[in-house]
Order: sequence, then structure tokens, then C-alpha cells
Amino acid sequence: MPDWERIERSDEFRELVKRRKSFVVPATIFFLAYYMGFILLAGYASDFMGESVYQGLTVGYCLALTQFLMVFVLGIWYLRKSENEFDPLADKVVEAAAEAEDARFVRKDEGTGVKA
Amino acid sequence: MVSLFAEVNVEALVMAAIILAITLGITFWASKKASSAVGFYAAGRQITGRQNGLAISGDYLSAASFLGIAGLIFLYGFDGFLYSIGFLVAFLTVMFLLAERMRNAGKYTIADVLSFRLNETPARAAAALGTFAVVTFYLIAQMVGAGVLIEKLVGINFSLAVILTGVFMLCYVIFGGMVATTWVQIVKAVLLMAGIFMMSVFVLAKVGFNPVELFNRADANKGPDSTFSLAPGTYLPKPLDTVSLGLALVLGTAGLPHILMRFFTVPNAKAARSSVVWAMFIIGFFYLLTTFIGFGARAFLGEGGVEAAGTGGNLAAPILAEFLGGGEGTFGGSLFLAFIAGVAFATILAVVAGLVLSASAAFSHDIWSSIVRKGKDSEHEEVLVARIAAFAIGVIAIIIAVIGGSGLNVSFMVGLAFAVAASANFPALLLALSWRRFNTTGAIVGVVTGVVSSIFLVIVSPKVWPGADTVTGSPIGWTLNNPGIISIPLGFLGCFLGTILSSGKPSEHSSYDELFVRAETGLGSERALEKVA
Repeated sequence: MPDWERIERSDEFRELVKRRKSFVVPATIFFLAYYMGFILLAGYASDFMGESVYQGLTVGYCLALTQFLMVFVLGIWYLRKSENEFDPLADKVVEAAAEAEDARFVRKDEGTGVKA
Repeated sequence: MVSLFAEVNVEALVMAAIILAITLGITFWASKKASSAVGFYAAGRQITGRQNGLAISGDYLSAASFLGIAGLIFLYGFDGFLYSIGFLVAFLTVMFLLAERMRNAGKYTIADVLSFRLNETPARAAAALGTFAVVTFYLIAQMVGAGVLIEKLVGINFSLAVILTGVFMLCYVIFGGMVATTWVQIVKAVLLMAGIFMMSVFVLAKVGFNPVELFNRADANKGPDSTFSLAPGTYLPKPLDTVSLGLALVLGTAGLPHILMRFFTVPNAKAARSSVVWAMFIIGFFYLLTTFIGFGARAFLGEGGVEAAGTGGNLAAPILAEFLGGGEGTFGGSLFLAFIAGVAFATILAVVAGLVLSASAAFSHDIWSSIVRKGKDSEHEEVLVARIAAFAIGVIAIIIAVIGGSGLNVSFMVGLAFAVAASANFPALLLALSWRRFNTTGAIVGVVTGVVSSIFLVIVSPKVWPGADTVTGSPIGWTLNNPGIISIPLGFLGCFLGTILSSGKPSEHSSYDELFVRAETGLGSERALEKVA
């Protein structure tokens, strides 16, 4: 078994967790706030949401479209960020652990069809 | 037999038969791969990210999403669209907080993650309770919905339709396990996207591919007493109810056992991550197109279509398809109607198969193998028990759906399933993965509080008390239909108080450090079966 406690305290692991957190926490706060803001407007400001932007196109529908946009952008952004930043850091943790533990636990990293 | 097949729609029946033939073929092919535990529960972890993205979409987009949301938009306009937004944004919650970490830490069920560093027996029991509660409401809702729709679309009797759906669902799960379930979901996702894309093109072609013109016509086509509006507040008149529903939708998906179980079918966390993004794009595109179907139905069928569309407007999409194909009685009209009816049928089958599989895994893997047999059973026995459990769960669901009949309110039960998932499963899973102090007592108190509070608040809600559109309908004066805004914080509070007020120590077989490192890096995570050429 790998020495989990030692890995948890290692600089590589701390760095990975810190970097990932510094993206995931603000992103989660942002999307929940943006979504709940939309829901609050839908609940409490239905007149505003029903106002026309251009003929039958309402403020509500436009704001709804921005929710879709937010999901797609955050999805792709996180995918990129993970491949370029978090995955290499995680690999480092695994490598360091493997060196220390006689390479018994190697992370499987194949068959995803996604290139880093 | 006359009463059973009174007005059978032959084209729709042929379409359904084609879909059944394809899916049974898949099941036969899959049956050889489903004999081991990892094959039966997790398709050997050989599903790619893209395939899993399609399968998640197939697992997630129920008939309530397809026919239900199109129908709600047709009847109420903007409020129907609010559901779509919640269902979609929910995948950000799944992606950021659970998907990869579940894949890295778990094996077959959500209980694997919850019990990783807690006392195994009570933690698995709590997770199984959460799974059964969600699956029960969701499955019965889907079965009743299936019966109603097939009765209307194909023309066979409600009970017969429920039984047929149940039998095919059981065939996929029992003989083909996760491999068959996955491919049935993939086929369904492709069919569903093709169907809704075709309909959208037809709808947009009628307004010169100008969506604004579609909204104009839809708005012009509401009668004087119409519930339809381009502004919110028609279907969900109480603002606080809207907020409560929105909260349950955005957090509920991250507690749905049949969706989370899909992350165990891919080889690693990277594939889990890419499958969520694939699912987001497929599901997002789908929900954008449902607005064209809903507003299109309003623009072209108008107020006159309201009665034909039935309860909740569920038949608006099929009727619109008939209209787009050339109208009632024309060859094109019945063909398009039959195609959409077939797609709806495939949609239901894929969702119920995923649900039954997750519940049977919770029984065989968590209750039978880990709690009753203390891990001393063979793999063969566990898979056999899973098949028997799937059979029993399926039969019970069929019986409840047939007895409850078409009067059971489908959207109400789906809402309840999301509320339980968000209030019971989600807080416990999230805290197990990210809070060092979290302990067994916290998990049990949290899950039980979440399940009990959400079910209780629904039982006393105005929806259950007839004549309750006034404030005083509920026996305790409760006025919200959606429990989320109370039950979700209660679920978290239960986890928190249970943890800090007990002296419970984590179990000794593994530490939080182990779970944390595994979840974040994938070190020591369950490996995929080698591909056999």
C-alpha cells in the first residue's frame, strides 16, 4: 500500500489540491450565484423577464441563453485547465509515490480518446 | 382483446417493434460480457468518454424532459424552460464536485464512496436508503408516464403498456447488465437527438428560420384565458417555490444514483470528466431545441391544441410532429407521429433500465454482499443476487404503477426524486469526499434527515391536499410545493450536527488521507478490464 499520509503531506499533492481548488471553488461559487440570480429574477421579477428585447424575444429568454453559454464555456475551460495543469500535477504525485513505493501502483491513463 | 387493442396505431407499433428488435439484439450481444461483477455493474469500465457522454444523456433525458418540458412550454411558455435550465446547469455541480472524484474513489455504487472511510455497515445502509428512496419515486413516475404515453400513442391499454415496458426493461438489465443498458441508452440518445433535430428544422422552416418570428407567432396564438406567457410566473406563480425548485434541480442531479453510477463505467477520471462535458453539450443542445418544439406547438397548434395535448401538455410534441408531417390522416403525418412515438418509447426504456440497474446494485453490492454476507460471498453469487433483485424491483414497480394507475402525478414524483437526491445523497457524498472530520453518525443523520424532511414536506404540501390553491390547504399551513429550500439545508445540517455532536471515529481500514489522495489523483483507483479483441 502507498503511504497515503506521506503523499497527502507531500509538496506535489498540496500543490495539486491548491491549484485545483483555486479554480473549482470560485467557478462553483460563480455558477451557483449566476444560476440562482437568474432563478430569483424569474421568481421575483417576472415583469422584467417578460420585457421585450426585440419583438417576441424577451429578457428572460436572452438570460436563459447566457446560462447555456456559461455551462459550455465553463465545461470547456475546466477540460482545458485539467489537461494542461491538473493532470500533469496529478501525474507528478503518482510518479513521486511510485518512486517511493517501488512502482506497485501505477495510475492507469489510457483509452479515453482525449489527448492531453 | 378488443378492449386492449381498441385503436392500435400500426405505424407506431411497427416503429416500437423495430426499436425493441435493435435493443434486444444489443442485449443478446452484451449478455456474454455481463457475467462478472465489473461487467454487470460497470461494463468492464471500458466505455469511452464520448460513449459515456451519450449514455449519460440517454440515462438522464426522460420522457418528462422530452414530452413533459415541450408540453409545459406549450401550455405555460417560459416557466417550462426554467426546468431545462436547472437540469442543464446541474451538470456543472456534477463536474466540479463529484464526477472525477467518484470515479477515483468508488467501485460500483455511491455507497462505495460513502463507506470508504466510514464504518462500512451503517454507511452502506444509509447510502442504500438514499438510493432506494430516489429510485422508487423516479421509477414509478417513469413507469406511469410510460403507460400513459404508450396508451395514447400506440393505442394499447395502460396496464398492458406498463407491463410491456417493465418486461423489456428487465430483459436489458437482467441479461445484459450495464453493457446492454449503456448501449440502449446510447441508441436512445441518438434517436432522441435525431427526432428533436428533425422536428426543430421543420418548425423553424415554417417561420423562415427566424426564432423571433416563432416567439411572435406563439405569443399571438394564446387565447384570452390562456396560461401561456413569454414571461415567467404562469406555471410557478409563487416566487419562493420557483427558487426552491431551482435549488433542488441544480443540486439534485449530483445525487441521482443512476447518473453517478455511469462514472464507474469509464477507465479513469479523465474519461469521466470528458463524459460530463460531452453530456453537457448533448443535453444543452437538446434543451435548446425543446424550446422550438414547445413554442412551435403553441404557434401552430394554438389554443385549440390544448385539450388534445392532455394533462401537462405531454402530447403536444407528438401532435406537433403529426402536423409537421402533413396533418392528421396523411401518410407523412402518421409516419412522423409514429417516429416520435417510437423515440418516446426508447426514451422511457433507457431511463428505467438505468434506474433498475442502480437499485439492484445497491441491493446486491451494498446490502447483500457487504452487510448480510460480510464480503464472504462469491462474485458469481453477487451478480446472481443483483439479477434477482432487479427482477423483484421491476415487478414491484410494475405492480405499483398498475395499481396507482394513470392518476399518479408524474412531474410531482420526479420533483420529489430530485428533492430527495439533493437533500440526502448529495450532502453526504460531498462531505464524505471533502470534509476531514465527517463521520458515520454524520452520514446517517444527514441522509435520514434529507429523506424524511423532503418526503414529509411533500406530504404536507398544497399539491397533495386537494383544494389547496389557497394558503390554508395543508394541515400545517405549509404553502410550498417544492421542499428543496428547506430540506437541502436540513440535509447538510444533519450531516454537520451528527458529526460534531458524536464522538464517532472513522473506521480503521482506511483513512481520510487515503480517500483524499485517491479521489484527487486516481492513485490506486479501480482499473478497467483489459480489452479483449
